[in-house]
Amino acid sequence: MKILVSLKRVADPDNANKIKVTPQKIETTGLEFKPNPFDEYAVETALRLTENAANTKQRLGEVTVVTFGPKEAESTLRAALATGADKAIRVDATDDALDGDLVARALAKLIETEKPDLVLLGKQEVEGDANQVAQLLAEYLGWPQATFAGSIKSEGDTALLVGREIDGGTMNLRVTLPAVVSVDLRIVAPRSVQSVHTKADHAYPEGVRFAALMAIMAAKKKSLTEVKLTDLTGDVGLKIKYTGFEPPPARKAGVKVKSVSELVEKLKTEAKVL
Amino acid sequence: MSKPIQAINRYKADLRDFQFLLFEQFKVGELLGKGVFEAWDAEQVNVSLAECYRWTREVAGPLNAPADAEGCKLVDGRVITPKGFKEAWKSLYEAGWKSIGIAPEHGGAGSPVSVQILVEEMLSGANTAFNMYSGLAFGASEVIASFGTTDQQHLYCARMFGGEWGGTMCLTEPHAGSDVGSAKTTARLNADGTYSIKGTKIYISGGDHDLASNVIHLVLARVDGAPAGTKGLTLFIVPRVRTSGDGTLGADNDVTVAALEHKMGINGSATCVLNFGDNDACIGVPVGGDSELNKGMPQMFKMMNGARIAVGVQGIGVASSAYLNALEYARDRKQGASITHWKDATAPRVSIIEHADVRRMLLDMKSRVEGIRALVVKLTSHIDRLTFAKDDAEAAYHQGQVDLLVPLVKAYGTDQAFRVCETAIQTYGGAGYTRDYPVEQYCRDCKIFSIYEGTNHIQAMDLVGRKLGQAGGANLQAFLGDIAKFVAAHKDHAKLGASVRALGGAQEALGGSALKLLMWFQTGNMAAVPLYATRFLEMMSEIAVAWMLLDAAIIADTKLQTVEPGHPDKAFYEGKLFSAMYYARSVLPAAELKARQMNDEDKSPLEISDAAFATV
Repeated sequence: MKILVSLKRVADPDNANKIKVTPQKIETTGLEFKPNPFDEYAVETALRLTENAANTKQRLGEVTVVTFGPKEAESTLRAALATGADKAIRVDATDDALDGDLVARALAKLIETEKPDLVLLGKQEVEGDANQVAQLLAEYLGWPQATFAGSIKSEGDTALLVGREIDGGTMNLRVTLPAVVSVDLRIVAPRSVQSVHTKADHAYPEGVRFAALMAIMAAKKKSLTEVKLTDLTGDVGLKIKYTGFEPPPARKAGVKVKSVSELVEKLKTEAKVL
Repeated sequence: MSKPIQAINRYKADLRDFQFLLFEQFKVGELLGKGVFEAWDAEQVNVSLAECYRWTREVAGPLNAPADAEGCKLVDGRVITPKGFKEAWKSLYEAGWKSIGIAPEHGGAGSPVSVQILVEEMLSGANTAFNMYSGLAFGASEVIASFGTTDQQHLYCARMFGGEWGGTMCLTEPHAGSDVGSAKTTARLNADGTYSIKGTKIYISGGDHDLASNVIHLVLARVDGAPAGTKGLTLFIVPRVRTSGDGTLGADNDVTVAALEHKMGINGSATCVLNFGDNDACIGVPVGGDSELNKGMPQMFKMMNGARIAVGVQGIGVASSAYLNALEYARDRKQGASITHWKDATAPRVSIIEHADVRRMLLDMKSRVEGIRALVVKLTSHIDRLTFAKDDAEAAYHQGQVDLLVPLVKAYGTDQAFRVCETAIQTYGGAGYTRDYPVEQYCRDCKIFSIYEGTNHIQAMDLVGRKLGQAGGANLQAFLGDIAKFVAAHKDHAKLGASVRALGGAQEALGGSALKLLMWFQTGNMAAVPLYATRFLEMMSEIAVAWMLLDAAIIADTKLQTVEPGHPDKAFYEGKLFSAMYYARSVLPAAELKARQMNDEDKSPLEISDAAFATV
């Protein structure tokens, strides 16, 4: 199976306190970047689908990772190559010249030439939390989509059984390949992904695999190509316009109540939750 | 009911400081892509450090406190390591972090030693006890790689570097600790050319464990008829399970674990009493074959630099995490009002980082941790530059600095590590004394570092007895000369000039104290040498660390001119300036005090009678 995974670097959520917001923009100078966690889960899913867990050094399929970003974003791709992906593509762009629609259109064009059987994405990135690209991409491609996948069972190279995480439970969908699937947190639980290669009772360690040292060294020799955004689409216009930025309001100081009855009274009259 | 010990990671490392040392201060980056480091580039170094940090936080770190509480068990003569160590061992060797600095011909990645040592800082800092097992296997395998026969290398090296088999170093005996030459373990030649080993070794770290299918002991023993003292000791390869040439495991080799020590710290590391040949069925062969009989000590000495650097790095790994944890706590914990409102009982409570004495402790820890880490990387960068030396003189210079700095890194690094951990506890207050926080374990774990691998006094004697006079004193002269050049270049620096001039004064005092030592040797005043050796080592270390911090601060001051406002590097570089200024003004004066003490030649500890120490 050929799988294409889109991967984005995001400002390290653990350093959110360092972010400076001006009315015109969010200042990214000096921020540390990490792969978007949901995208890392998508890479892990792709690796699990294309290997026998008994021998993870041999890839039984092809995993291509794609990112949209400046030259520095290549380290995010190298890290994915170091965990087992086969090749990488960087579409040269900066974040402020992109929105979900433009990324989806450019990806659709790239997919015409790459011809994957499956496109895997994180369900959303943790900066803007827009949650749009997978849905738009499926529409542009005219492919079936299954979003918020918490489990995937591969049925050969023809179909996937996807457990979608929805309010109140799981919706099981069978999608015919090629398809677009976006993944949720639970996809990296030990038994969430069942490939045709791995024994059904195999349990992976929870989460995303470590990059081994030798794979980090070998990743340098794997293919990483650069593509111009304008080579993928003539229309680089944005559909989302940001009109202003402001930090979330600071929390107001709390009040101490003297008694339970005062608390109940306030919950009724001020908070109006009772 | 006592509180449960939680399996959560507490380990913290400062990767920005690692990058500063590698790429800004010691410029190891300029060696990447060249010569023996051809396969490496800066991005691989950074990805490796980041991935290794992730591994330590997710795998080794969470096991640190539970393993300390659980300890090791001796069951049916075999050591059972704490819960989770087996899985972590497998994960460690799959990830490959123990192989980063090993030469490619032994299955490693051949990184600069400066990168390897920072990886080791993380492995040791996250879980000292766990890293002991792989550390000893690594060291023993290095001995075989350096001195073993080709067959021995084929049989053991890849397996021991790769985690299939463990390894130990068996030197100490009940009556032979620092006095290793009085070892009594014997080796008797058998008809088939092997030797029968018989004796007892104590304090053997990782002397047995359940992490690997075999443990290869390197045992110092005396062949029947060999000379007394260290000159008659041979290093033997003694596997726990006998092995055939292709690595197939055979019969038990009569190595028994007589007991496990109960210790102050590193409780997850099995410290064993080992009996060899209780049933006269323990077989060993000399490392390197029969031509290497009685060469055990020279073999050990050649490996000692690496092992001693590694122990210094154990210290810095734990101390650094102690500092960073104390810092986090100080930012969070609210207690007391600001000194500006000290009379107002209703004034808002402030984070303890706002209190002057907490800030003093934090900066004290920061400067020591960063300064000693810089000294470590200075040392390893000399090793890394050895293979690039243009001529013999340059190579001799680098090797000379390595030899000179090893006792400083081992002794000062580990002495200060304990003090940093103690200061970290003090920063927390009562909370730091409980097992709710990691610093009390850090303090217990790191005390052993100043004792094993040659006590810190042995390091001091190595420095004054061997290293100062090495190459006719040229290594010390080069060290003093490098400081003098630095002082001359920066003594009028706008911000740091006064501190640089103070370093200059201390450097002159150090030269004077070295001459004093020489005079004691020449005039037969031998008793004064060990009496002042420890203080001389500390003095020289303080001067070296002050130099490293000032060097870093001058780089940082230049970078501050161009760093963008709002960039976190601004705070990083400012921190470098304050580390240097604090250390130069609050620690370095102690160096000149020690010079004065040496001039004073107080011999009270020698003159006092044994009885006068106490009449109880």
